[in-house]
Amino acid sequence: MIVTPKILARLVAIVVVGVLLQLAFFSRVELFAVSPDVLPALVIALGLLGGTMTGAIAGFSIGLLVDSLLVQALGATSLVLLGIGYLAGLFRERFEIHSSLVPPLLCMGLTLFAELGFSAVQLLLGVDAPVSALIARDIAFKSVYAFFLGWPIYLGVRRALRPALVEEPGVRRRRQPTVLGT
Amino acid sequence: MYRKQVRRRRAVLALLIISSFALLTFTYGQSSDGLQRMVSTVFSPLQEVGDRALKPARDLVNWFDETFDARGENERLKAELETVRARAVAGEAAVGENAELRKLLRLDRTGVLAASDYRPVTGRVIARSPTVWHSTVTINLDEGDGVRVNDPVISGDGLVGRIASVGGGSSQVTLLTNHTSAVSAKVVPQGVQGVIRPEVGDPEDLVLDFIDSSRKVGVGDTVVTAGWRAEGLASLFPPNLPVGEVVTASIDAQVASRQVHLRPYADMRNLDFVQVLTGGSRG
Repeated sequence: MIVTPKILARLVAIVVVGVLLQLAFFSRVELFAVSPDVLPALVIALGLLGGTMTGAIAGFSIGLLVDSLLVQALGATSLVLLGIGYLAGLFRERFEIHSSLVPPLLCMGLTLFAELGFSAVQLLLGVDAPVSALIARDIAFKSVYAFFLGWPIYLGVRRALRPALVEEPGVRRRRQPTVLGT
Repeated sequence: MYRKQVRRRRAVLALLIISSFALLTFTYGQSSDGLQRMVSTVFSPLQEVGDRALKPARDLVNWFDETFDARGENERLKAELETVRARAVAGEAAVGENAELRKLLRLDRTGVLAASDYRPVTGRVIARSPTVWHSTVTINLDEGDGVRVNDPVISGDGLVGRIASVGGGSSQVTLLTNHTSAVSAKVVPQGVQGVIRPEVGDPEDLVLDFIDSSRKVGVGDTVVTAGWRAEGLASLFPPNLPVGEVVTASIDAQVASRQVHLRPYADMRNLDFVQVLTGGSRG
């Protein structure tokens, strides 16, 4: 990904809009008593399109913004999201994405990883209250929702960042062939 | 060249991980700092606009969820109606008796809050935490509205939580279902006292812990805030705010673990408007 000031502005806008949508919409709607969490999917989409650095930095920034807005201990969400952003970026650098099922499946798998990570961090920080078994259901449902929401999020982010994606077929097609000797 | 790139990536990753741990170490257990207040001031108008704009879409999605829930709830409510009807009759008699006693004591004001110095301020919920580990909501009230840290927060149904931090244009509410929450409460009419703790991950289950196992609590009993006051210290919550209803109270559990389970009256998952009780004791 070629990060120009314009692309950076788009990345910031994607992060801010994503976080606001999560807090004001997705966290407040429920299907089968579980709210979807689209932030891991957003970080994964950025990691898949931009690589390890974009994924990790986006994850860290999104986590920091969420923790700041919710006045939680800073760093916990950042730690988990930067990890999955890095892993998504690593996948993109090591493997080809030759099926449209790859982004949603990655979203599902890494959201599961992120939710387990959140739980692990919270338990390490100390939870005094008893923990319900429903946590497991919440994590499973969030991962399934990430599968269905992952693909539109990936497409939306790819569309917003299209000018920066050098490997994007659409961009390659539009490029004029170089004609020598004119 | 490639090695240099890899080294740089690893350095950035290490830096981000160290920063996360450093932030976690310095901010864990602290109240809001300058950065969080600034971010909250900048973003709260955006959150409020987002909240209002997305309400129709939110209502639509929640309508589907509520329709699924309603089928099971209908049966439960029918059974509950029978019990409540019997209680209402007893309640009518108690209300009449109460009014007479109030007259005798010249307490002409009525209601749970009437005898206290709390001033309720109504606010709108503008954001919610995405994880079940942090049951917090953000409301559009701040210091200008008289809101202070530890003020009790209620909904039309009962106690919701307390103010955890106050920023510019918004405040954070720690819900009863948050793992850091603990409220002293009593079961009425028995008067059995205990501490309400959440069951993390289940917004419909609270545990009334440390109860006196020699006095029996029954299913359907009402739990209200205890609102104790002793030696210059006072509970953050005024007495007799409704919290929930006992749903499981086996004798074995009461004797062995000295706890009963209750369902909160307030629906913590669907809060749109809440009231902050400002001006009272703040602990």
